[in-house]
Amino acid sequence: MNGPGLNSIILALVTFIPLAGALLLLFVPQRERDIRVFSLVISLLAFVLSLHLPVHLQRAQGGFQYEVNIPWIPTPNIHYHMGVDGISSWLVVLTTFLTPLCVLISWKSIRERVKEFFILLLILETALIGVFVSLDLFLFYFFWEATLIPMALLIGMYGHGRRVYAAVKFFLYTMIASMFMLAAILWLYAKTGSFDFVTIQNAVRGGGVEGFATAAPWLFLGFFVAFAVKVPLFPLHTWLPDAHVEAPTAGSVLLAGVLLKMGTYGMLRFNLGLFPEQSRANAGWISVLALIGIIYGALVALVQPNMKKLIAYSSISHLGFVVLGIFSFTQTGLDGATFVMLAHGVSTGALFMLAGILYERRHTYEISEFGGLATPMPRYAALFLFIVLSSIGLPLLNGFVGEFLVLSGTFRTSALYGVLGATGVIWSACYLLWMYQRVFFGKVTHEINEVLPDLDLRERITLWPTAAAALVMGVAPLLWLNAIDPAVQSTLAPLTQMASKVVGR
Amino acid sequence: MSASATPLAVEYVRILPELVLSIFGMAVMVLDPLIDERRNQRTLGNIALLGSLAAIIATLYQSQYPGPGFWNMVNVDAFSVFFHFLVTTVTAIVILTSYDYMEVQQIRAGEYYGLILFGAVGMCLMSSAVELVLIFIALEISSISTYILAGFRRRAAISSEASLKYFLLGSFATAFFLYGVALMFGATGSTSISVISQVLRSGQIPVLAYAGIALMFVGLGFKVAAAPFHIWTPDVYEGAPSPVVGFMSTAPKAAVFAVLLRIMFEANAPGRLWLIWVTAALSMTLGNIGALVQDNVKRLLAYSSIAHAGYLLVAFAALPSGGIPAAMFYTASYAAMNVGAFAVVSHFASAGERYVTLEDYSGLGRRSPLLAATLTIFLLSLIGIPITGGFFAKFYVFSAALQANLVGLVIIGVLNSAIGAYYYLRIIVMMYMREPREEAPVPAAPIGLRAALTLTVFATIYLGILPGGVLEYASRSAAELMRQ
Amino acid sequence: MVPLSYYLVLSGILFACGVLGFLIKRNIITIFMSIELMLNGVNLSFVAFAAQWHALSGQVFVFFVMVVAAAESAVGLAIIIAVYRTRQTLNVDQINLLKL
Repeated sequence: MNGPGLNSIILALVTFIPLAGALLLLFVPQRERDIRVFSLVISLLAFVLSLHLPVHLQRAQGGFQYEVNIPWIPTPNIHYHMGVDGISSWLVVLTTFLTPLCVLISWKSIRERVKEFFILLLILETALIGVFVSLDLFLFYFFWEATLIPMALLIGMYGHGRRVYAAVKFFLYTMIASMFMLAAILWLYAKTGSFDFVTIQNAVRGGGVEGFATAAPWLFLGFFVAFAVKVPLFPLHTWLPDAHVEAPTAGSVLLAGVLLKMGTYGMLRFNLGLFPEQSRANAGWISVLALIGIIYGALVALVQPNMKKLIAYSSISHLGFVVLGIFSFTQTGLDGATFVMLAHGVSTGALFMLAGILYERRHTYEISEFGGLATPMPRYAALFLFIVLSSIGLPLLNGFVGEFLVLSGTFRTSALYGVLGATGVIWSACYLLWMYQRVFFGKVTHEINEVLPDLDLRERITLWPTAAAALVMGVAPLLWLNAIDPAVQSTLAPLTQMASKVVGR
Repeated sequence: MSASATPLAVEYVRILPELVLSIFGMAVMVLDPLIDERRNQRTLGNIALLGSLAAIIATLYQSQYPGPGFWNMVNVDAFSVFFHFLVTTVTAIVILTSYDYMEVQQIRAGEYYGLILFGAVGMCLMSSAVELVLIFIALEISSISTYILAGFRRRAAISSEASLKYFLLGSFATAFFLYGVALMFGATGSTSISVISQVLRSGQIPVLAYAGIALMFVGLGFKVAAAPFHIWTPDVYEGAPSPVVGFMSTAPKAAVFAVLLRIMFEANAPGRLWLIWVTAALSMTLGNIGALVQDNVKRLLAYSSIAHAGYLLVAFAALPSGGIPAAMFYTASYAAMNVGAFAVVSHFASAGERYVTLEDYSGLGRRSPLLAATLTIFLLSLIGIPITGGFFAKFYVFSAALQANLVGLVIIGVLNSAIGAYYYLRIIVMMYMREPREEAPVPAAPIGLRAALTLTVFATIYLGILPGGVLEYASRSAAELMRQ
Repeated sequence: MVPLSYYLVLSGILFACGVLGFLIKRNIITIFMSIELMLNGVNLSFVAFAAQWHALSGQVFVFFVMVVAAAESAVGLAIIIAVYRTRQTLNVDQINLLKL
């Protein structure tokens, strides 16, 4: 299944199949079971098709592949321009990998307004994929905003407790931040006459953009703020715990697994790609914020009584590693950052699913409500341990590779940052293992927990792929890294040129 | 210039939509007492609908015969055809949404449809008039009709109060406009926009002209509900019947904006920049802040319309080449989303307009998923989310302003859009994330409303996905306008 | 001959009186009459300018304005009556169902 035919339409297919599925869902199946099966089939189809991207990627090449570039709107000059490189192709696969699992995990927990739920989920998938494949800044912005509505509705309609507050907070935070990005995009358009990423990049590098030197710090910040809120970088993170705690499980999985990566992906692609000099100039304080995020997130996670909030804060900590890696400007650091994005998507996604499974049984996330669960639920406990270990960064599992690379990249630029970052790894072991101990070990403290059913078949089917992915990513990281590497190289090229210029002088 | 004493046949074509609308309007008025009481609602509505459709066709026909008519009082060009089309389409949609509203509210409909058609005559005429006194008369035709329409729920005290306020402040504003016309006439010796333009371009600008422009702007500012002349808007919108609000927040506004565009750009109005800068910034800010605290959906949308008038005025501060098409696009997309939003509101308000507070919208997503989804699309468009017309409308306006280096105004505008998102979201949150408060069943949407909503949703999305065609047309007509 | 400026000042004063009356008076009928006063001020300046430019059109406009004003007052009075029927008052301070 290759050849030029499929290559040229594969991105459109992967992106829009979920949307088409959502539209069909609106009209065709009526029974709730059919709706679930239908969405599962659609999301699996998207997953299978998306595997084409990394499989047939020309790994030696650094640039964008499977490109499609069609004029869409004449004024302003917007193109339907899509394409992926080694980094984004894997992020697309991550999205399509997690979505069917989200469908499965929501099989029973969503009982009301089922149709709307799966429609929103599929629309969200399209928007997420769109973010990663767009090469036209306008198209990118469009998909970026488009993720917002289904996600906010998922939280607000299907969440728990203070869901409305969480949904609105989430929406306003990201919406307001992305206004700054829009302003920056518009400035670039006004000066270059194009929304095309590659065109703008060339124009900026060629130095032919009038007034760029003075505007660049502001433009950099405009993009950066939008991305930093999504990541979320300390101190812009306050929406995340609320959103996570109130979101339904599938929402949390996609939120942690993919949405946060939109931010780091954006930094990698746009901040580094368009403003290499500004990135260098601002790397100092950004790295400090990332470090604060790593340590602060870990410390707050340590004291969380709520399992889901703990995982949410652990995300802040892990994403700090990604930002740290990106702004180390080293090949290993960026490789590692990209790898952490993927690994965190798998591990944390799985952790949220595990927490969700427990919530389905007990309707609470409070750690103190559990204890000694290893006795009634041995399978669950084993899987949980496996995922916890992968998240901590045990060698031979996926978390290790990325964090190791990030830290070794960081050490090269600043030993102090490296050391401080390394403490984050230790912290993550503390809070996760301590949580694990409190939930699973010891005697069963609450009577009701003694009869909790272990994982059923559906839940096992949901969780095994994540465990398998965690293992494979840990054992054979090169499968991923050799696609990521050339892409990172071409991203870093202008930065290293700049550095050698400095050294040469 | 046609010097002949009697107008030529082709000149009648140039006011054909107005003629068609007037004839149908009179037919509605005459037939009203003749038709059986029970059936007259529908029949008259159908006649009025037919009239507006005929006017759309007349507009299309008319576009084949551009040029001046009636001693240079009207001028048919791409610009006027655009606004004719907009006004007549909005009229048709409003008539569609009124069918069942009239029955539910138990209003006798005879004059209602007639007045809508007469109002449309005035608005059409405004967009093609190139002579200030004719503009004044057209403005009055449209205003007087809407004054009455605002008070059409005669038994409801708030409706006649709204009508009274609208009338008093409206005529107050008209007097300002007229004084401005008089001063302009004094300054240039003519009321024809093209002659005024020649005089103003020829050199020294008389002081009277500045005063004239300022006064005309005050008068028109009242009509489009731009701050600081906006105080009447929330009251009138709250009290007037919802379909009428949908009508008068779009069609007359579009027409007045057409007039403003002609006066400001074609006549090359002096002192335009700071006048508009201040008004635009004030409208956006006051409108959005006012809307934040509203609990009544109609009032909320009223404040939002003030804010949108502000966004639109930003385009007026820009250069003509970018500003005119941006403003035209904005009027079109605003018309689509606002008429649609008020159509939903009017359907949901039910008898006596009881359900109009934000609380009443709680759980609408559950009680009536399709209506709620439709309203959501309009609200998202009002926020300015991509793939809706509202996004490109704002986009064009702000980029036109950036081209004119109005960075400050754009920043105010962008910040305001962010604030604006909040109160539109409140409605969406209410509909989807709150439990229904009382199980007031929402009646199924009748066929007329469904047709209207389908049209407006389609227009909103079409403008959001393929804005190229409309914008290109608008740019072409702007170029034509500036060449004259 | 009386200079143009006299007429203009007079019309300005008339207009200003109208504006003031509109803002200060509390009876709807008086407010309504203030608007008419404003229009008459405008009419005066139209006629004055017509004489200055020797253009008959200025005087014709006055007729248009009068006709339109008449139509407007017909509608206005009808609205006032409708309000009076529901509220039994013509004082604007008591017509306050809608908060401003």
